[in-house]
Amino acid sequence: MLESPSSSGYDGEIGSDSSDDDDGIKEVVRDKSDNGDGEEANAELIRGKRRSDEDDASISWRKRKKHFFILSNSGKPIYSRYGDEHKLAGFSATLQAIISFVENGGDRVKLVRAGKHLVVFLVKGPIYLVCISCTEEPYESLRGQLELLYGQMILILTRSIDRCFEKNSKFDMTPLLGGTDSVFSSIIHSFSWNPATFLHAYTCLPLAYPTRQAAGAILQDVADSGVLFAILMCKDKVVSLVGLQKSALHPDDMLLLANFIMSSDSFRTSESFSPICLPRYNTMAFLYAYVQYLDADTYLTLLTTSSQAFFHLKECRIRIETVLSKSNVLNEVQRSLSEGGLRISDLPVDPSARSGSLFHLNQRKPATDSQDRPVDIGGPAGLWHFMYRSIYLDQYVSSEFASPISGPPQQKRLYRAYQRLYASMHDKGVGPHKTQFRRDENYVLLCWVTPDFELYAAFDPLADKAVAIRICNRVCQWIKDVENEIFLVGASPFSW
Amino acid sequence: MGCSSSLPDRSVGRVGGLNPENGDSDAKNLRVKLVLLGDSGVGKSCIVLRFVRGQFDPTSKVTVGASFLSQTIALQDSTTVKFEIWDTAGQERYAALAPLYYRGAAVGVIVYDITNPDSFHKAQYWVKELQKHGSPDIVLALVGNKADLQEKREVSVQDGMDYAEKNGMFFIETSAKTADNINQLFEEIAKRLPRPTPS
Repeated sequence: MLESPSSSGYDGEIGSDSSDDDDGIKEVVRDKSDNGDGEEANAELIRGKRRSDEDDASISWRKRKKHFFILSNSGKPIYSRYGDEHKLAGFSATLQAIISFVENGGDRVKLVRAGKHLVVFLVKGPIYLVCISCTEEPYESLRGQLELLYGQMILILTRSIDRCFEKNSKFDMTPLLGGTDSVFSSIIHSFSWNPATFLHAYTCLPLAYPTRQAAGAILQDVADSGVLFAILMCKDKVVSLVGLQKSALHPDDMLLLANFIMSSDSFRTSESFSPICLPRYNTMAFLYAYVQYLDADTYLTLLTTSSQAFFHLKECRIRIETVLSKSNVLNEVQRSLSEGGLRISDLPVDPSARSGSLFHLNQRKPATDSQDRPVDIGGPAGLWHFMYRSIYLDQYVSSEFASPISGPPQQKRLYRAYQRLYASMHDKGVGPHKTQFRRDENYVLLCWVTPDFELYAAFDPLADKAVAIRICNRVCQWIKDVENEIFLVGASPFSW
Repeated sequence: MGCSSSLPDRSVGRVGGLNPENGDSDAKNLRVKLVLLGDSGVGKSCIVLRFVRGQFDPTSKVTVGASFLSQTIALQDSTTVKFEIWDTAGQERYAALAPLYYRGAAVGVIVYDITNPDSFHKAQYWVKELQKHGSPDIVLALVGNKADLQEKREVSVQDGMDYAEKNGMFFIETSAKTADNINQLFEEIAKRLPRPTPS
């Protein structure tokens, strides 16, 4: 009689996934545009993002700026961003020793500062998460990233994993996460480009109001037939989404779900039906996700509680796809993707020339044409970039990157500056603050928090304060004028 | 997996769950549910994609949950067989969900990698599981994939054949990479299917 490696679900003993581990494949630094078409050719490189030849004795491993570890409370490694987990057993045991030493004293370790390095700890039952970083990101940001990393693991396994540790404290979890390296490396990568990871809000693809309404109507139609959530997304942006009942989809869950789908290549190959857990919805239970790509970037996700619903969801997808192509929604989505979103150079300067739409015929040019324009240094009055988060919609919008924030290093630096700004505005000890004006050698940063929205704006370091404030008012007015096109309003489950 | 759905099942009920409706199946046009099982990395998805789309993608894409594909073949006796294929993920975390996909399957295709003895053992586990919990009249096929990697072979043809024979299974070695024996696999399965008696 053969020992079943799997008959007891997660209580399996035999790790049998070693055959398809991606050994020795080099890291490829993914930038934002890498998530799409360019991926096909680099698929092999991108999938293996970690250096499995490294361990804690390697100089290259020690030099990495940001490490993430997941380990069990017995010190067994579960995941490491860099290096082979099994070779890091000694290192994991050290981390575990630090955590349990403090816990044995009836306390809890939050962080350790060691020179330029910050070590941040997060304890989730039998699972320990640790980040070691010399990126100067604040503690709150790193802790939030560990929370999302844990959420990503729960999305794959549910919290019923805790029971495996109750039964066997030496339980080895690595086989259960076989094949998910790309999911974790992709969420970690998003910590340095995707504002959704710290704003806890999602963003929409800009679309003419009737287009989004058309998509919402057909999604609502299938939701009424027993689909818990129907989500239509284009890359990391929402086209439309509806929910069956008053239950809300948390923006963090949307981030983790979209990351899971986009980083798992098999979803692009054929229609799939997979158990997933939404940690903010119910950490203990699986939902079932029907996923189908409708074109290279746009994918439909239908979530249900029924493991038997595949054929029903397949029919729903066929109906949705027919309506979407008849009503031209998919073409509009592709057009919006190539045109990009809000551009600071389009910020209406003259209040009398305001218009309620981004979608005037022949006014918007594809983003790729922007080099042909006269080189303006950002928008009016030295505005370089902004992000606007609507509190009651749980959504944010950010302007397209433009000169001088054009290259990935500048974008990452601004992203980190926003992250610090967000953390300082939400500091529980001294906050909450309403406004902040900060000038350094790189930017003028202005933040404005009201009960309705939060605005983060970056200006030329020489920008005048009074003018900057006036421009921020214009940005807010502009957002209000076009909110029907940049946000999902009305039919969202949040407003019920 | 020891956890239940968070809500009562509100979705529209369907008899048969993940089974295709057999309404349009008749003696001349069969419609069958086929499930592929086996260890991760043995090439289940590659076999299906070679059969359904004639493609081979050497970059391995780890299947999540299960993928659904269908393909119809015509036999010489002018019958057609439409395979509705559940290509399951080989990862351990999905093993407990396998019954969801193999329940009611008319055909079980169990795949191993001829260069990997562990995957052959795992295949035997799946054979036993299907014999115990699959449909009583299920047609079982044992497939040794990656037959193009002769120089790395670690599971002999004889071992595969012997095990299949002992368990009343059809046995074949395939290569999704070269397309060797892929169509033969599905044609042979089609021939072995029990035919509905014309009424």
